[in-house]
Amino acid sequence: MENMANKVARIPNLVDWSTGEVRLMGAKCNSCGTYFFPKEHYQHRPDCSREGVEDVLFPKKGKLASYTIQYYPCPAPFKTENKITPYGIGLVEFENEKIQITGIITETDLKTLKIGMEMETTILEMFTNEEKQQVVTWAFKAVK
Amino acid sequence: MRDVYIIGTGIHPWMGFSEKVFADFAAVAVDNALKDAQIEWKKIQAIMAGIFIYGGNAGHLSGQYLESIFGETGIPVVNVYNACATGSASIRMAYNSIAAGETDTALAFGADVSPKGFLTAKSDNAVQDRDVIRWKMGGLPNPIYWALECRKRMEKYGTTEEDLAMVKVLMSEYGSKNPDARFKKQYTLEEVLKSVYVCDPLRLYEICPVSTGAAAVIVTADPELISKADNPVKINATTMGSAIYGDPTIRISALSCPAVPEAPMLSESYSASRQAYEKSGIGPEDVDILELPDNSSWHYLVYLETCGFCKEGEADKMLRDGMTKIGGKLPVNPSGGFSSHGEALSAQALWQVIECANQLRGRCGARQVEGAKVAMAQTYGLMGNSGTTIMSI
Ligand SMILES: [Zn+2]
Repeated sequence: MENMANKVARIPNLVDWSTGEVRLMGAKCNSCGTYFFPKEHYQHRPDCSREGVEDVLFPKKGKLASYTIQYYPCPAPFKTENKITPYGIGLVEFENEKIQITGIITETDLKTLKIGMEMETTILEMFTNEEKQQVVTWAFKAVK
Repeated sequence: MRDVYIIGTGIHPWMGFSEKVFADFAAVAVDNALKDAQIEWKKIQAIMAGIFIYGGNAGHLSGQYLESIFGETGIPVVNVYNACATGSASIRMAYNSIAAGETDTALAFGADVSPKGFLTAKSDNAVQDRDVIRWKMGGLPNPIYWALECRKRMEKYGTTEEDLAMVKVLMSEYGSKNPDARFKKQYTLEEVLKSVYVCDPLRLYEICPVSTGAAAVIVTADPELISKADNPVKINATTMGSAIYGDPTIRISALSCPAVPEAPMLSESYSASRQAYEKSGIGPEDVDILELPDNSSWHYLVYLETCGFCKEGEADKMLRDGMTKIGGKLPVNPSGGFSSHGEALSAQALWQVIECANQLRGRCGARQVEGAKVAMAQTYGLMGNSGTTIMSI
């Protein structure tokens, strides 16, 4: 894995690389079994006791459930140093967790995107901050 | 519960960005509604106001601002926000106040001035407001959410790019016949298919922009006002729905959705429409005109299914067979829809009700649906907001 020491997520508690693998951070309710992303996006089953919500890391890999190709720059407060349009955006399904999560796709050959293909979690460098750190977001790329 | 009638409606025609303030637009719509109802301002016993979220203190207290323009009379003024279903909330509150006997005559209104450029996050607290995450980290403008669902639909049901384009062709034909629409140019299938992708598979002409507009509806149970009104329209039901656990739709501003469906798609609209069918005793088979929220061509198709006008995956066939045309079995969006108007958040749900009322009152000229007796206005708002109003004459 590339050097992650000088990277910082633009918003904390969404993507983790402390284990040596890039993975999304969420939560699981042990009462109703529902997974949440982001972890504050509670989506309890009605009548759930809401007891035993714990932080989890999602698996690194999932399957592409849908995607689109965005042709126009996303308006502020989105910000990237380099032009990234057109860019892919995917919904990646984590089967055991029964959840689909959105994310920018770092693939540049957008013709290769196909529903069902295997994807892995990665990061996208957005810009350099005043402390000379690379500010990043989570993203997905095809498993090669 | 008493029967409640629409006796007056008014709009300010839809347009792009304006330097004028929202209250100016609201006043035009309300003036028109008062004239249509043939009543004086003092007859209004309650104001249910849709708020204008980009209007600061004034926008958040839009009802008070409007009341001061027409003259303060001490009546209840409630300001409400339910995203794009805000107008549904305001007319529902007006209806309930009258049906319950609290007031006899009430005004529901909404006005919105299109922001310059895009709608984006309104706070900077990512823990509290996940909208901040989707804008700062997600790179997710609204149409992407629709495109992600549209792609799933194409894969699952074989919806084609021609189907998506055909929606715009129909909407632009009707919009060209609507003097109050913002976009009046008529498009051919070829022109739509040649328009650029915004987010593949959705093209520029297949999604609606934000607009400026205002709408006002006066409802009453006062027998005297009903008897002197021009073709009063009965409200059979006006409801609101929220989402149901397990709805697989990726909702605007969310970063995730359930992978295993345990509820219908767009469950907030499923909820609102089923409540309306039950309350009114009117079912989809009885509806002569449907105004649905065609924020994109995908919405046009999926809403026919969500609201029970056909089974899942059959909307494309309804479109291809011409069933949704004026003159077809179920004319859809004879107004030209959002495609010809654009979204004016707090006004649009009321504008849909007004189009239905105008159709039932036979006021729609070149886009008139002949002999319509029952009409339904269906809205869609982000994060699980929806409303349904069923009307008859
Ligand atoms: Zn739970």
